[in-house]
Amino acid sequence: MLGDIITPDLFASALRMATPLALAAIGGTICERSGVVNIALEGIMLTGAFAGAAITLATGNPWVGVLAAVLAGVAIAAIHAFASINLRADQVVSGTGLNILALGLTGFLMERLYGHPGTTDPVKMIRPLFSLPKPPEGFVGEVLRWVEGVFLSHTPIVYAAIVIAVVAQWAMYKTRWGLRLRALGEHPKAADTVGISVYRGRWAAVLMSGALAGLAGANLVIEQVGSFTENMTNGRGFIALAANIFGRWTPAGSYLASLLFGFADALQIKLQMFRGQIDIPPQFFLMLPYVLTVIVLAGVIGRAVGPAAVGQPYEKG
Amino acid sequence: MPVLELRGITKIFPGVVANDDVSLTLDSGEIVALLGENGAGKTTLMNVVYGLLSADGGEVLVDGKPARIKSPRDAIDHGIGMVHQHFMLVEPLTVTENIVLGREPGRWGVIDFAAARERVRALSEQYGLKVDPDAKIQDLSVGMQQRVEILKALYQGARVLILDEPTAVLTPQEVHELFSVVRSLVEEGLSVVFITHKLEEVIAVADRIVVMRDGRVVGETKPAETDMVGLARMMVGRDVVLRIEKGASVCGEPVLEVEDLHVLDDRRLEAVRGVTFTVCGGEVVAIAGVDGNGQRELVEAIVGLRRPQGGAIRTKGRDVTHATAREAIEAKISHIPEDRHRRGLVLDFTIAENLVLGDHREEPYAKRGVMRPSVIAEMARERISAYDVRTPSERVLASALSGGNQQKVVVAREIGRGPELLVAAQPTRGLDVGAIEFVHRQIIAQRDAGKAVLLVSFELEEVMALADRILVIYEGRIVREFAAGEADDQTLGYYMTGGGGSKLEPAAAAAAETGGER
Repeated sequence: MLGDIITPDLFASALRMATPLALAAIGGTICERSGVVNIALEGIMLTGAFAGAAITLATGNPWVGVLAAVLAGVAIAAIHAFASINLRADQVVSGTGLNILALGLTGFLMERLYGHPGTTDPVKMIRPLFSLPKPPEGFVGEVLRWVEGVFLSHTPIVYAAIVIAVVAQWAMYKTRWGLRLRALGEHPKAADTVGISVYRGRWAAVLMSGALAGLAGANLVIEQVGSFTENMTNGRGFIALAANIFGRWTPAGSYLASLLFGFADALQIKLQMFRGQIDIPPQFFLMLPYVLTVIVLAGVIGRAVGPAAVGQPYEKG
Repeated sequence: MPVLELRGITKIFPGVVANDDVSLTLDSGEIVALLGENGAGKTTLMNVVYGLLSADGGEVLVDGKPARIKSPRDAIDHGIGMVHQHFMLVEPLTVTENIVLGREPGRWGVIDFAAARERVRALSEQYGLKVDPDAKIQDLSVGMQQRVEILKALYQGARVLILDEPTAVLTPQEVHELFSVVRSLVEEGLSVVFITHKLEEVIAVADRIVVMRDGRVVGETKPAETDMVGLARMMVGRDVVLRIEKGASVCGEPVLEVEDLHVLDDRRLEAVRGVTFTVCGGEVVAIAGVDGNGQRELVEAIVGLRRPQGGAIRTKGRDVTHATAREAIEAKISHIPEDRHRRGLVLDFTIAENLVLGDHREEPYAKRGVMRPSVIAEMARERISAYDVRTPSERVLASALSGGNQQKVVVAREIGRGPELLVAAQPTRGLDVGAIEFVHRQIIAQRDAGKAVLLVSFELEEVMALADRILVIYEGRIVREFAAGEADDQTLGYYMTGGGGSKLEPAAAAAAETGGER
């Protein structure tokens, strides 16, 4: 039975499941590194998913849908940026408010646009990037089947997430932007006194996190599920926040942590297929990713220290 | 022509005129000390020059030309650099990263770290400011961090360097080094504004002294033309007693007995290694030592904030070795902690709330678990006037007070409680002469009332001014005891830095401690 569970398909699924988490988690990393907590990732992802579905349905072009999802994410993030940077609101309150807003807004728009709650019509999906020939039989074929299954069977945003993780990791430690970003979240006044604009830097970081979480929503709808369902993000934004912490506020770490959570999710789905053979209620498998989140956050990782000034509004002078 | 000139700078905060028509010049290659009490407006003035605050009136001239300085960027572009009292360094970043931040070498947004490191190394050699370019700030000592700050200003092309209270956080040794750094900077052609409220520093380092009080410049002088007493009078506006007069101590019964005490620090290393001493009613016993030799752990053990590993602590014969902080208060031990912001006060509480902390559950301030605001307010008003806390009302938040007034609130609470033993750790840290005088008077008043006082201080001046007996602590052991007036600061400094006891074997240390007992 183990051979039935551990298949290329399981790992491919893990990579797929990890993608929206990773995109949002990297967004969260960038945002928190600038000193702004973004608890609204969940809501942004959900809004992105809805915008992606609605625009794809309206235009018939899933790529336009992806763009719409990113822009919708940026729009919600802009509200968060304005509230927490310019108005110096409590960032957790602002984020929580936006999460509730996103849930209500997408539900409301469902009814207005499609006349019913629940799930939209299927949208045109983006296909996997590579179409592969059927591998031959034998050992070579088995190896090929694994390589293809795990690495080459994916849609574009899955690969994009890996590229984004690598680029963001490099940029955070090697570029002017990255150095300034890290300074902003640790000691904004120090950045200010050497002439770096705290507001501008934080705005850019929050908008970037909005774009990434929006892209995560697009991946969910246009590459994975194929339709929008109310509250379909189902806590992924919060798991992404956990992945950001587990990844110690680094893009690469966030990606790897997301991979772990994605694997838990994939395993959970796989195990449900063997419901008959394993005498454990399926609810326990469903819990797996969340239990893992709790365990990870509760201390497997030891004491995680985030940016020193995260969550604190900056006031000049 | 002066490199920097301020003409009629006025800065008004709601309700306060922080700078009132202030004019000042700084010549090339000159060290000007800006002297004044906390709250006199020195830092405000320099923040205006550095573009962190915008003035309500007046102008700044650089090299004789009016300069519009709206932000730190503008100030840097005019060749003005500032080392802030609270360092503007990003702790997890490296020395190099901090120095180049905001002006990173490289192209296309990619930082050329090799070039950056080279620039830092070159600067640090040119000015004799040795520092490891790859070390993280959080691993450096405060003195080293300050060097990084100075290097940062130099990297940005500063020709005028403003140092805001640069010695507040330094050890005497580091202060010495800083002075020679400042002199070499001036030799290299820089001009320096040195903000401070410490009189001896002004005399030691300045070419010219400008004194500020209540937002105005009240005088200007040169070190050769004045002395500490004259400067203190100018700064405070009245005669200040720099050293409190006190009579001989009348020693009563032992109040605090510490016996072979062993205490661990936060890293679980032994910080206090078998300390034995006694403090009697009616005397001030000072623990003199360089920071980090076990003073903090010793104090925390006595006041119930840290569990000793071994030994005993008794107050008036009662065993308080394992007392909690609450039991320590009940045993009439009061504690003026060394860090008033972290331990002395709850900054977001009002003065009244801060004053009642620790007694808040006791009658008459509370009844059946419910606090009685009117009783507390009345007590607060009494103590505010008795301890001369300058505040419009007892409902003001502690965070709104100046450092000196905050410390008065702490002193008012701890002494107002009526302790038998007062443990005062660094009770005048960061205070100006007027406030120091006040706190010193309170401590001597306690002693004269027959109470026991244990003073911990890194400042020899303070130790010698207040103590009846001095215990020198080094690496967690009491290495010498002196009676008041028996040792000068050189002798104390010698023992404080391990001169007499660094190689002490446990037996010899024990002998030295027994010698220190009464």
